[in-house]
Amino acid sequence: MDVRVREVTTKFGRSALSSAVLLAAVFVLASAYTATGGSSRDLLVDEMLTNLMLVVGMQVFIGNTGVLSFGHMAFAQIAAYATAVVAIPVVEKTKALPDLPFGLADVHFGPAGSTAFAIAVTLVVGATIGIVICRASGLAPTMITLAALFVVDQLVKNWKELTRGAGGLSGIPQQSVLWLWGGALVALVVAHVFQEARIGRFAIATREDALAAPALGIRLFTSRYAAWVVSMGVIALAGSLRAQSLGSVNPKQFTLDSGILILVMLVVGGMRSLSGAVLGAVLITAGTELFRQLGDPQRLDIERFPDVFLGGTMLLVMLLRPDGLLGDRDFAGWLRRRMTRRSDVTTVAPVSTGAALEATDITVRFGGFVALDGAAIRVGPGEIVGLIGPNGAGKTTLFNVITGLVEQQHGWIRLGDLDLSEATPVEVARAGLARTFQNLRLFNNLTVRENVALSALVAERHRSHRPPVNIDELLEDAGLAEFAHRRAATLDYGNQRRLELARATALAPEFLLLDEPTSGMSDTESLAMVDRARAAAARIGAGVLVIDHDLGFITRISHHIVVFSEGRMLAEGSPADVRANPLVAAAYLGSHA
Amino acid sequence: MTRLLQSLLDGVGVGSTYALLALGISLIFGVMHLVNFAHGELITVGAYTAYFFFLHGGSWWWMPVVIIGAAVLASVATEQIAFRWVRNASPFTMLLTSFALERLSHALWQIFVSPKQRPFPKPAWVFNSLTLGSVRLEVMDLVTIGVTAITLVGTAIVFRRTLFGIAVRGAAEDFDAARLMGVKANRVISGAFAFAGLLAGIAACLIVMRTPSAEPAMGSEWLLKAVIAAVIGGLGSFSGAIIGGLALGLLETFARAYLPDVATRLDRFSTGIVFIVVALFFVLRPQGLFTVSHAERV
Repeated sequence: MDVRVREVTTKFGRSALSSAVLLAAVFVLASAYTATGGSSRDLLVDEMLTNLMLVVGMQVFIGNTGVLSFGHMAFAQIAAYATAVVAIPVVEKTKALPDLPFGLADVHFGPAGSTAFAIAVTLVVGATIGIVICRASGLAPTMITLAALFVVDQLVKNWKELTRGAGGLSGIPQQSVLWLWGGALVALVVAHVFQEARIGRFAIATREDALAAPALGIRLFTSRYAAWVVSMGVIALAGSLRAQSLGSVNPKQFTLDSGILILVMLVVGGMRSLSGAVLGAVLITAGTELFRQLGDPQRLDIERFPDVFLGGTMLLVMLLRPDGLLGDRDFAGWLRRRMTRRSDVTTVAPVSTGAALEATDITVRFGGFVALDGAAIRVGPGEIVGLIGPNGAGKTTLFNVITGLVEQQHGWIRLGDLDLSEATPVEVARAGLARTFQNLRLFNNLTVRENVALSALVAERHRSHRPPVNIDELLEDAGLAEFAHRRAATLDYGNQRRLELARATALAPEFLLLDEPTSGMSDTESLAMVDRARAAAARIGAGVLVIDHDLGFITRISHHIVVFSEGRMLAEGSPADVRANPLVAAAYLGSHA
Repeated sequence: MTRLLQSLLDGVGVGSTYALLALGISLIFGVMHLVNFAHGELITVGAYTAYFFFLHGGSWWWMPVVIIGAAVLASVATEQIAFRWVRNASPFTMLLTSFALERLSHALWQIFVSPKQRPFPKPAWVFNSLTLGSVRLEVMDLVTIGVTAITLVGTAIVFRRTLFGIAVRGAAEDFDAARLMGVKANRVISGAFAFAGLLAGIAACLIVMRTPSAEPAMGSEWLLKAVIAAVIGGLGSFSGAIIGGLALGLLETFARAYLPDVATRLDRFSTGIVFIVVALFFVLRPQGLFTVSHAERV
């Protein structure tokens, strides 16, 4: 209890501190700028603060999930109009909007009430559309957001009773710049808290690898949707405060172009980092203003030079630093690493639950090709079973069936009393099967420690009946302690393999499913990997099902060996039995050697 | 009946221009997984080329050659200058690179020519029309449909029969495998950009014949429709792009012609309705009509 409360307050404190530091830096710059010029400079600060809130709102979704959205401006627009219809005093409102529907004609709220109302309306609309956006995959969500932008634009321009059409609404009581500073602080704190929270970490995992995340028990939809909803809240705050800062709204403020401007800020700063979002907002707002002053107002150059600046900056950043100026560097991340203390709880191997993993009579066809033909395998609790066979024997396909990535036409999978035949990858992982991938799927932009910590987070939530694992201990076992704060992508191949093993182990599974853990390793490295895999399994009391080509590796590690050929079991037995089996020799020599 | 035929004809007329552009977008997506938002700028390039060509006394006879030449050059240039360097980056990076090019193109036309529309004369025959029974056939519609049909047949022959076409189709299926078979990545991708430029050039000719003027942002509207068409068809699918283009053209024309009857109240939403239909389509079938599957090895 105490530990959890302390953890939550630490996370919140860290978020608040990071936000305050970033905003203080912005405040110093802004004060220096306004102190040296006329009062027109205040307007630029207002603009920069609304931009900052919008960028932070986009970062929560785009930066954390890696799904590009063009539609965020549509929701800022909804919030701005929602603010307008309740904030404009009733007398003026009756003149501008005589046919206002929904009984809004007599409603009048103060600034706080209007902001809350706008956020509520936007959240309702956004959360509904978000269901569709977060379910889609590939380019579809981006396209849906684009369509949403145009639909909202058309609605605003044509639903004149509510919006007065293309001309927009004015007469919103203007609020002081303090509201904008307050809004920016709230936006930053919310975004930081989201990144620190479990669900935010999960969203980041789906961004890094949309296949490996479910295999660790992380639901793609849930984490993306959470990011979407939080992002909608921040965007609504930005839209509402912008309306109350300018005193008017019109559709021109929320076009595709204006959305792209915000997107450029996000991308230039580095979309994965909140510090990057702030940097981008400041740089691009300032740069745009600078280039505007280069133009000649008489010749309408006002818009052209900023466009050259935007296009040029975006092109240069994409070509030279596609991850943005800051990349993964983030003040909050730095703070988190500084504050991470080595935990001294040791991992205890749990008492085995005694559940066995069984796959029975599995048949899989890809078109006319039969990949598995009535295949079966059984791994007892705590047992280490090796699965070997020539290329195309169906070993990896069996893994994919067991972990829910490939659907079998026929057959059952059980874990103890649990039927996993129809389970999704997420359910399989949460039930206690953790896998590695033949072609490595790490969360490349996260640090080594964060990779392991992610599955520990899943374990904490969904596998709490198992004793918790100690992340640092696992890293030490894997020989990765010295690289704990390096990005996973920067590790060499052998260390990446060891990291994948550690990440799977941190899930505290009943069984580890290792797909060719020694592929591409030298003999000495392979031997060390044998010991590591065995030690990892023993530490958490898990059984192991391991695929390998290398008969030497398999015999050394396994209690029991199963030989596959052409989609079914060819032989099984102790390592010695299998070595002596003439059928196995024939299968290997016939098709593999 | 007459209105039906007229709408059909108009729809196919607009739709075939969408189809030419969508095909280019799908082609580029196929070889490098880039949704090229700078593709519409090729139309702008074509239109400004036409404007300068006229300014220096060029005639309509040479116009198509000049426009198409300019579009092909511009297309290949974008690949050499920008896209080649982000080829292995994430789709996100490539998409934003194309956005950056679009932005720069707008700004540069504004600065070096003018933010205002620049008109030039139409060819005389564009105004002609034939009357067949009760249906009025615009010569321009017939030219559009004829040119598109010939182009599409030509494209089909290129993709089925020539080594380049087969290499591009192979690359669209599985670039790594194609590369192992000796397909040169640079050559195929440059070729694909040249071909997409050719198609956009033809579309630009058809567009400036109808409305002979050049404007900095003219490409963007066409681009958006073309992207929608390509997505409806299924990005990467060539026949899908054509059908998507025609479907979008017909949807627009019919929405405009028939919606006022269906619900007068909804009339003012007619452009919005196209987007709503498209949005629903994305929701129900996000992979498009013709799926190009990209199986991932696990």
